[in-house]
Amino acid sequence: MTTTEVKLLNRKGAPKWGTLMGQLLAIALGVGPLLIFMGIFFFAPLAAVLVKSLQDNYGAFSFENYAAALKEPFLTGFRMSISLAAISAITSAIPGAVFAYLIESRGSVRIRQFVTSISGVLANTGGVPLAFMFIAALGAEGSATGLLKALGLDLYSNGFNLFSFGGLILVYSYFQIPLMVIVFSPAVHGIRKEWQEAARNLGANRLRFWRFIGFPLLFPSFVSSLLLLFASAFSAYATARAMTTGEIALVPILIGNLVDGNVIFDQYNLGKALAVGMVIVSALAMIPYLIIQRRAERWQR
Amino acid sequence: MKRIRIANLPLMVALTIAGLFVLFPLGSATEFSFRTPVSGGHGLANYVWFFTAPDFGHYLWISFILAVSAAGILLVLLVPTAVWLNLGGHKVRPFVEFITLLPLVIPVVALAIGAQTSLPDFAQTNEFVLAFMYAVLALPYAYRTLDTGLKAVPLRTITEAARGLGAGWFRTIVQVVTPVIRSTVLASLFMTLALSLGEFTLTSLLHWDTFTTWVTTMSQSNILGAIALSVFSLVAVFVLLLGIGAFVRPVSNQAAAEED
Repeated sequence: MTTTEVKLLNRKGAPKWGTLMGQLLAIALGVGPLLIFMGIFFFAPLAAVLVKSLQDNYGAFSFENYAAALKEPFLTGFRMSISLAAISAITSAIPGAVFAYLIESRGSVRIRQFVTSISGVLANTGGVPLAFMFIAALGAEGSATGLLKALGLDLYSNGFNLFSFGGLILVYSYFQIPLMVIVFSPAVHGIRKEWQEAARNLGANRLRFWRFIGFPLLFPSFVSSLLLLFASAFSAYATARAMTTGEIALVPILIGNLVDGNVIFDQYNLGKALAVGMVIVSALAMIPYLIIQRRAERWQR
Repeated sequence: MKRIRIANLPLMVALTIAGLFVLFPLGSATEFSFRTPVSGGHGLANYVWFFTAPDFGHYLWISFILAVSAAGILLVLLVPTAVWLNLGGHKVRPFVEFITLLPLVIPVVALAIGAQTSLPDFAQTNEFVLAFMYAVLALPYAYRTLDTGLKAVPLRTITEAARGLGAGWFRTIVQVVTPVIRSTVLASLFMTLALSLGEFTLTSLLHWDTFTTWVTTMSQSNILGAIALSVFSLVAVFVLLLGIGAFVRPVSNQAAAEED
């Protein structure tokens, strides 16, 4: 039973109640399996986190996990995670946006396709292999470090350290900049040549075009891409864990330590309260992203 | 002629910088992975080490089975749903688009902790549960890819023709629609494979061992071997994902041709 058939019935004047039932049945058959699957493996786990985060060790309702989550060392953890994600988003979004603009405005179809597929690949790297790759390249004994030293640039005597906050941001940029290129390119692509030419004809110079047309058009997309990059860096776990071995106390790592039993805390459900905190921060970034993205799609393509 | 060259200079500079940015760390790591500290030169020792490690094949096989299962689960689930939505489920479409994006929004760490609490014991004691969880993580990408592919073909005409010739829905989807969108199906398949093969967060937080977690464990005893393994798996995933590009190209070429 499809809605096409239902609509046909409707046009012929079938009883309204039957149409409604038919539609409900069609919807149930159409999206039911997906909903059941997501219900078991996605929504139920999230609901469980929320419920358990509001229970004390004996299962009674309590805010004690949240009270503990808002104390040290977790408060610092959230502060670190948020600033790491914010700095990573900004430092990757700007070069990513400039690169996307250059490729979209000057590159041929072939170059654009090549860059898109490579970016797709790089944006999906991450995790443990990425961390080890950077350790091999830019660690204290790394080959790139050695090469740069031979060229007269001694990174480590100049205060560089891969296993630090800054090092983590550098490593993240390896997947964050390509991610920016992917999400920002459609927006740049939407700026049509005709608009630039029209503005030129009406007497606007380059600066005026960007001030009144290009920038206002691209700014929402830039902000939304920035938010996506923020969320991506905020929830990254594997890379940070392999790189810092828990030294930089990011929230996902603190949660991991609790789950693995490396750190024992009085409150059994503390990790769940921290996880809810992470969901809230991510949602705060992603909901505006989705709204802006939907609005931007109206004029793109 | 000269003018065109000057106009292309920023592009060339950008492409060069991007190329260095991508290849410099990868190249350095590759060099590093061939080092043999004992004899002081370069050689295949680190690669030989992990290939001959007793558990290498075992964990690679586990990861492979889980990845293939995750891809299978997703396709069986998503192809009919996406076909149905593209045929007429207009009212629920925004809703489905929204919920299929959610796994991107929710940090994997939170999902892992929840799965530990909510899944029944028989599921927790069976490593196969990971295939379902990987499928959840790959869902946003796979759904979007399939949806784009279905929009590019005259789906209604095809299905009506198949139905008119007497094929049931099952047959229509398996023997008619799927072959038509095979490049998109393959793309989402490979994407799910790549994501599942590299998954670490869920796997380690749920205390299972797959290829990725095994690499981390091995790095504690032999960092050079672990780096060789990382280079190996990065390059393998690059090749796998670029394979997607080759499969999807026919469609995107068409789109690009229409555009220009």
